[in-house]
Amino acid sequence: MCIIRASVTAVPQLLVSTVLLGGIYALIAVGLTLIFGIMRVVNFAHGEFLMLGMYLAFWAFTLLALDPYVLLFVSIPLFFGAGLLTYTLVMKGVIHASHNVQIFTTVGLSIALQNVALVLWTGDFRFVRPWYYSVVVRLGGTAFNLSQIAAFVVSVGFTVALFAFMKWSYTGRVMRATAQDRDAASLMGIDTDRVYGLTWAIGIVCVGVAGVLLAPLYPVYPTAGLQFVLLAYVVVVLGGLGDMVGALLGSLIVAAVEVVGSYVFGTAWKEVLYFLLFIAILLIRPAGLFGQRGTETLGV
Amino acid sequence: MRGHWPALVVFGLAALAPFFVRDAFLLDSLILILIWGTLSAAWNVAGGYAGQVSLGHSAFFGIGAYSAALLATRWDLSPWLGLMVGALLSTGAGLIIGYLSNRLRGPYFVLATIALSQVLLIVASRWRGFTEGSEGIPVPFRPGFWTLGFADKATWVYIGLGAALVLYLIQRHLEGSRTGHQLAAIREDEDAAQSLGIASRRLKVMAVAGSAALASVCGTLWAQYVGFVDPFYVFSVDLSVRFALGAIIGGTGTALGPFLGSFLITTLETYLRATFAGIGAGLVGIYLIIYGLLLIAVVRFVPQGLAGWVRDFARRR
Amino acid sequence: MIFLSVAGITKRFGGVVANRNISFDVAAGELVGIIGPNGAGKSTLFEVITGFYRPETGEVRLQGQRLTGLSPDRVSRQGVARTFQKLRPFQGMTVLGNVTVGALQKSHDVKQARKEAQEILERVGLADKADAYARTLSTGQRKRLELARALATRPRLLLLDEVTGGVDQGSIPGLVSLVQDLHRAGITLLVIEHNMRVITAVAQRIVALYLGEVIADGPTEAVTRDRRVVEAYLGQAYAER
Repeated sequence: MCIIRASVTAVPQLLVSTVLLGGIYALIAVGLTLIFGIMRVVNFAHGEFLMLGMYLAFWAFTLLALDPYVLLFVSIPLFFGAGLLTYTLVMKGVIHASHNVQIFTTVGLSIALQNVALVLWTGDFRFVRPWYYSVVVRLGGTAFNLSQIAAFVVSVGFTVALFAFMKWSYTGRVMRATAQDRDAASLMGIDTDRVYGLTWAIGIVCVGVAGVLLAPLYPVYPTAGLQFVLLAYVVVVLGGLGDMVGALLGSLIVAAVEVVGSYVFGTAWKEVLYFLLFIAILLIRPAGLFGQRGTETLGV
Repeated sequence: MRGHWPALVVFGLAALAPFFVRDAFLLDSLILILIWGTLSAAWNVAGGYAGQVSLGHSAFFGIGAYSAALLATRWDLSPWLGLMVGALLSTGAGLIIGYLSNRLRGPYFVLATIALSQVLLIVASRWRGFTEGSEGIPVPFRPGFWTLGFADKATWVYIGLGAALVLYLIQRHLEGSRTGHQLAAIREDEDAAQSLGIASRRLKVMAVAGSAALASVCGTLWAQYVGFVDPFYVFSVDLSVRFALGAIIGGTGTALGPFLGSFLITTLETYLRATFAGIGAGLVGIYLIIYGLLLIAVVRFVPQGLAGWVRDFARRR
Repeated sequence: MIFLSVAGITKRFGGVVANRNISFDVAAGELVGIIGPNGAGKSTLFEVITGFYRPETGEVRLQGQRLTGLSPDRVSRQGVARTFQKLRPFQGMTVLGNVTVGALQKSHDVKQARKEAQEILERVGLADKADAYARTLSTGQRKRLELARALATRPRLLLLDEVTGGVDQGSIPGLVSLVQDLHRAGITLLVIEHNMRVITAVAQRIVALYLGEVIADGPTEAVTRDRRVVEAYLGQAYAER
């Protein structure tokens, strides 16, 4: 009886927590799914760019006393540049290679970046603590950290902007056309190489910005990206790899599992929950996840 | 014996080493090269010969390590029994993952294997009552054959060598046999393989489960040798990558390649660790940066790996 | 007993009907051509016969044995071999290795299979390429390789998807006579072909498909002059302009 009453009063808090968390996950996942949808590459180094975003926020805050939210504007061109650079140096050469080659390329990039961070900045946990770090907002029986709300608002704004860009801008359309048919796109004079470079860079900007936003909320360390990116994989597989709207829904589902799971089972076991969810999804409807077999040869 | 002479040279040298080398550090390196090489070879059975690339093989390694350590500490049972229990559990886990490999291709399969190792990591590090949680478990050292306790490094060299030889022969069998041809066909093009009557689903499951059991056995041996099981190490993605890396650098789908790759990366690691150990702890990460860059370069420029490259070179002449 | 019976096959993809109620029989030793403009459902039909697609309705039987519902590898072990329209040789294997994999279906001994593969390579005229990697072959040679690989499984029924598609003019006569040889050797063949000159040269009987349905089935002469068949092809010719 007591438990039931407790869970009823917890509902608003759980609901809002889910939405706030889901918004941030969405930004991480949208970049991952964008890269997969258009380039057909699963970026195993995605989490490392998140980590770099967190470190960027940490150093800007510590050395320059720059607030993470001010830094946001600087971080966009920075990560865009980092994206273009890694694309040219690493991804460009394997864009037409087999899945396995692409997987190991991004895995290699992930190991290298993680350990660059380890060598440069050691494995210590670091924290970004701006003045609003401990400000809690209370609203109708629910309580939130101000940074969480800010991260949510910026995440959602960013995601909406990306959707608008993909849907209405000429470049966005070109990118989607390339995703549908590589060969046809290049026959029509689309410079697919530029499209892939741009896609990669935009994906990296999304996750880098997410890193900056997360810095005031979580400890910063070289493998900080791993837990979030594992989560982002769950999100994108849930929503269908490459499907941007699916990624949004997936983010909310995973956030709900995490929030409700931690509430019911305790935080120690929440990861097990979403990994089980992940494996279950892979088992139950994988066909929808990697496209219907043979549809590409339909009617020939 | 045709085609076996490079292996004879390599394993022969390793077998002779304890007679000439007394330095414990060098013998330790040799043992690790053999164990990691055997693990890369076990990975190669699924990833190289059958084309089912996994980045979660540390799951099976960890199962093997934990099975022996837990049976020994909790119930005082022989690590040989732990070795078999681990192999059985890993076969079971391998069957599940193998089943998944029939529904998931490419990156999806990789993600599923990572998920498996991460679930086990969480269970092992949080289930304090059974596994001692994140502190890990020391493996009791009790001298004797039944307790797999040998203070002598030379004995461990021969244990590692034995495991390596078994894996080498298994791989050679895969190259020459009917099953091996069929697995290669699946790796190249599964639909085409099926159109030739190859029961690809069954074969893939068998390859993955077999590879899992072998990795588990190595996990047991490693834990008995090192004497400590740390969940964050044995179930790590880094370790899975290491198994794959050895096979890729040496040459996927070649029998000697994984040992060659293991020799290279273990030597590199030992050398760099020794070089940078005095300068600063964080600098040990440098060898991992080199790993990462090496991986990127090898898959792009020498996708067939070192052994594959030598083989192709010999063929062209 | 009817050798191959295709009865009432319907295959849909979402709202698109790729095969609608397709039925025809094939006698042992026959060489039947399957023609139709792009999108007629020819390849889909092959995928259904070989077990890669499961039809919504209908069934395929080979000498009375039901093939529908079997997995592709089991269909192959029943004696049905095929080539792919988009060629799919095992790129990383040698030519001999490719064909050996096929021969290993019936021969369990690798040496024996390799010997058989060597003989088949001679038969299709690829013996001098035995040790080359499959990825180094020309399109015409790859067509021969796929044929050899399929042949190595010692099939009762052979399905060829586009024998001469994408091949240079000079290689066509050789491929045509190869198909005729196989036919003479007693293998029953179903052949999809776009080149009308090729199909009229090899087939005694043609099944014409249009928009997923059989629009004509009969002797080659009659089908090629059938009004609906001609219109179907003309329609496409106009549409393509």
